[in-house]
Amino acid sequence: MRGLSFIMSMATPLTTKQAANSSQIANYSHPYNQMWRLDRVRHKAGRHVSHLDELRSKRREHERELRQARRDNQLVSRRLLLSEDEDQLEITMDTDLGEQDVVSLFHKLQHNGPEREIHLKALSKALRDPPAQLIFIKQENSMHLLVGFLTGSNASCRLQAVRCLHELSHSPHTNIAPACLPATPYLLTYLSGQSTKFTELCLYTLGNLCPESDVVKEKLLAQGIIPALANCMENQKHNFAVVEAAGFTLSQLLQDRDAVVKIIPQILASSLPSHLLSVLTPDPNFGLAPAIECAWCLHYLTCGMENNRVLLSYGALSKCSSLLVSVGGAVSERKKEDGLELLICPLLRCVGNLLSSCSVEDLSSQIADARIVVTLFELLQAHVQTQPALARESAWVLNNLTAHSSAFCSSLLTLNLVPGLIQLLSFSQGLNTMILRVLANIAHKKKEFCVQLAHLKLLSALYATLKMADQDIVTLSMDVLFMLVVSDSQVAEEFVRHDGLSLLQALQYKSEGKIRRRATYLLENHLQSYTS
Amino acid sequence: MLQPDFVQLQSEGRDLVKSCDEKCPPEGEEGNPFNFTPQLIRVHKDHELFEDGDIQRHLYLQDLYISETEDKPALSLSEFACHISGCSAVFSTLEEYEHHYNSLHRHVCCSCRRSLPSARLLDIHIQEWHDSLFTILAQRQDMYQCLVEGCGQKFRTSQHRKEHLIRTHKYPPDFRFDKPKKDKGEKKRQQQTDTAMEVADSVCESEGVCEVMCDVPPDQPESMETRVFEGEAAHTAESEGHTDLSATGHSTENTNSEAVKPRYSYRVPANVCFGHGSVRGFRGRRGGRGK
Repeated sequence: MRGLSFIMSMATPLTTKQAANSSQIANYSHPYNQMWRLDRVRHKAGRHVSHLDELRSKRREHERELRQARRDNQLVSRRLLLSEDEDQLEITMDTDLGEQDVVSLFHKLQHNGPEREIHLKALSKALRDPPAQLIFIKQENSMHLLVGFLTGSNASCRLQAVRCLHELSHSPHTNIAPACLPATPYLLTYLSGQSTKFTELCLYTLGNLCPESDVVKEKLLAQGIIPALANCMENQKHNFAVVEAAGFTLSQLLQDRDAVVKIIPQILASSLPSHLLSVLTPDPNFGLAPAIECAWCLHYLTCGMENNRVLLSYGALSKCSSLLVSVGGAVSERKKEDGLELLICPLLRCVGNLLSSCSVEDLSSQIADARIVVTLFELLQAHVQTQPALARESAWVLNNLTAHSSAFCSSLLTLNLVPGLIQLLSFSQGLNTMILRVLANIAHKKKEFCVQLAHLKLLSALYATLKMADQDIVTLSMDVLFMLVVSDSQVAEEFVRHDGLSLLQALQYKSEGKIRRRATYLLENHLQSYTS
Repeated sequence: MLQPDFVQLQSEGRDLVKSCDEKCPPEGEEGNPFNFTPQLIRVHKDHELFEDGDIQRHLYLQDLYISETEDKPALSLSEFACHISGCSAVFSTLEEYEHHYNSLHRHVCCSCRRSLPSARLLDIHIQEWHDSLFTILAQRQDMYQCLVEGCGQKFRTSQHRKEHLIRTHKYPPDFRFDKPKKDKGEKKRQQQTDTAMEVADSVCESEGVCEVMCDVPPDQPESMETRVFEGEAAHTAESEGHTDLSATGHSTENTNSEAVKPRYSYRVPANVCFGHGSVRGFRGRRGGRGK
C-alpha cells in the first residue's frame, strides 16, 4: 500500500543517519498523524489495527534510542507542523510530487516567473524528503533565493518560503541548520507579526534550529531570540496556537547544557516567566498543548538555577501547586487516554525543585492549597503500577514538602494517608526509600507523631524493610526505628515483644558498617533494660 | 531561621540522595550513629529520576506518544536479603527470607559458625566442641547425650551415641539432619583470604547434625578445615578426620584458638561472645521475649 511504503521509505534514512553517527534523533512526521496540535492528546492511529502494531513497535524502538540519546546528553526533538492539505489521501499523492526534481524547481524559481507560488509550494513538498533537502542546500544561492521570497512583497510566497524553511529545519542532516542561518533574523522579526499560521511556522522553524549546533544558538541569542519570544508571547497571549509554538521554541533553548549560564538569566530578566505562568492553566477549548509546553519550560528553568528566588517571587510555586491539585487530583476518575501525565510530570518537577528553594516560613504563603498532599498521594497510588517513574517523582515531591514542615507532616497523619504510604514500602527501585524518607520526616518532627506512626503499624512494616536487600532502605529503616523506639517506652516494649531484639542482634552481623553500628547503639543504649 | 538544608543531586548520580556523610551531621554525641535529618532534595534535569518522564515528553514531541499503558514494566517488589555477613542469599518474599533465616541462622555456633537446627542441639554442640570442661569430664564419664529429646541417655563417645541413635531410635546409618553437605573444599580454599567472619555459603547450608555431633567426616575431608579461623588453627584443628573430636582435637583447637585469635573484619559487639560455652548471641529464644 502506498501509505505503508511511505513509512518504509522514511524509515531507512533513520538507519543511515544512525550509521553516520549523527547526534540527533530524527523527527519524522507520522503519516497517520492527523493533527498533532491537540485539544487533548489522542491516540493517533486508532483506526487501523495493523498500523497500530507497527506504531507500537516503532515506538518501542524509538524509545530505546531516546533513552540512549538521553544518556549521551543528546536528547533533542524537532516538531513538524503539517500543512492543511496533508491527510492520508494526500500523502500517497505527495510521494509522487515528492519525486519532483528539487533542482529543476529551484531553477524555475530563479526565473521568478508568474508561477513562482506554485513552484514554491511544490518545492515545500519536495523538501519533505531528506535527500532532496541536501540537494537543495548544495545548490548555490538556494538559501538566498528562499530568503528573497521570505522577505518579498508577496504574502503567499512568504508563506510558502517559510514552509520550505520549516521542512529544512526538520531535517535529520546536521549541516542543514547552519545553512538556514541567513533566514533567522527575518524569522525573528516576523514573530511580532499577526498572521497565526505564518508566526507558528516561524516559531517551529526557529525551535527546530535552536538545538542544532552551538553556532546556530549563539547567532540566535545574539539576534535577540529571547526578547522576540517574550514580545511574541506578550502580544499573542490569546492565540493559543502561537503560545504553544513559542513555548516549544523556548523549551528547545532551555535544554541546552549551557543554558544556566547563557540563557536562563536573560529569560528570568524578561517578562517570559510571568507569561509562562499565566498560560499554565489548560484552556477548556484549546486544551493541554500550550500548558504542556510552558510547564516544561518552567521545569527547565526551575532545575537550572540553584536558587529559585525569582520564580518564587512570581508565585510559581503557588501557581504550579494549585494547578497540580486541580489536574492531578481525582486521578481515578479521569479517562486513561487524556495524556494529562504530559502536564503533570513537569508540574511535579517544578513543585519539587521550587520547594527545595523555599524556606519553611514562606511555605504556607506559597502553597495555599493544602490538598496538595492528597493530590501527591493519589498520584503515587495511581501510578505505582502503571507509570512507576511518576510515582517516584510524586514521592520525591512529598519528601520536599514534609522535610521541614510540621504542618504538612501533621496533615498526612490527620488525612489518614499514612497507612497507604506504609503499604507502598514493599516496592523497590527507590520508591520505598523515598516513601520511608517521608515517614522519617514525620517521625523526626515530634514524639507524638512517632507514637501515632507506631500505632499505624509502621513498626510491623519495619520488620520487613529491615530485611530487604537494598542497604539504603535498611539503614533508613534503622533510623526510623530509632526515632520510634526512643519516642515512647511503649513503642520500645512492643518492639521487644515482637522479637525485635534478635532482629537487632542479627543486624549486628550485617556486613555494612552503618547498619552494624546502629544496631549496636540501639541495643546498648536504648534497649539495654530488655536484654538480660 | 536557618536556611533549609538541601542536597544537590548531580546529574550523573544514580543515588537519589548523596551519601549522608557529606551533608548530614557526623556521628554525634557519645558516638550516636543515628544522624537522619530531613532533607530537601533538588534534582538536576539530567538526573536518572527524570529519565522516563523525559522520554514520554520527547515521544510526544515526535508524535509517538500513546497514553494508554501498554506492556509497561510494573514496579517490582523489593527483594529481601539475608543480612548475615557472608550469606548472600536473596529472596523475593519475606516468608522465604524468614524460613531461610530460621532454618540456617537461628542457632549458630559463634565459635565455629556451624548452623544447628535447634537451640538444644546448639547447646549440645557447644558443649561437646567448645567446652574444655566437657572434654575433661568426658574422659571419665558418659557425657555424650542422645540427640533425641527426652531420651536422656548418655554415652562415653560420640561413636557410641551414634550407634545408639541408629539402633534404638532407628536413625539411618548415614543420618543427616538436612541436605547433605556439598563440596565445599574448593570454596573453602578460596575463602582463605577472606576475613574470618566472612564464611560463604557453607554457613548457610545446614549440615548433618550427626556429623556435627559425631564428627562424621564429610565427603571432602578438606572441608573440615576452615570453619572460621584463618590459617594454622584451621588446619590442625579438625584434620583428624575420622576420630571423634576427642581431647586431641579439642586441645589442639583450644591451643590454637588462643594462639591465633579469630580475626574479624570489624568490631564485634561486646555482648556477643566467642569462645567456650557461653554462646548466647545467636540463640534467639532468650528471656525477655515472651511468646
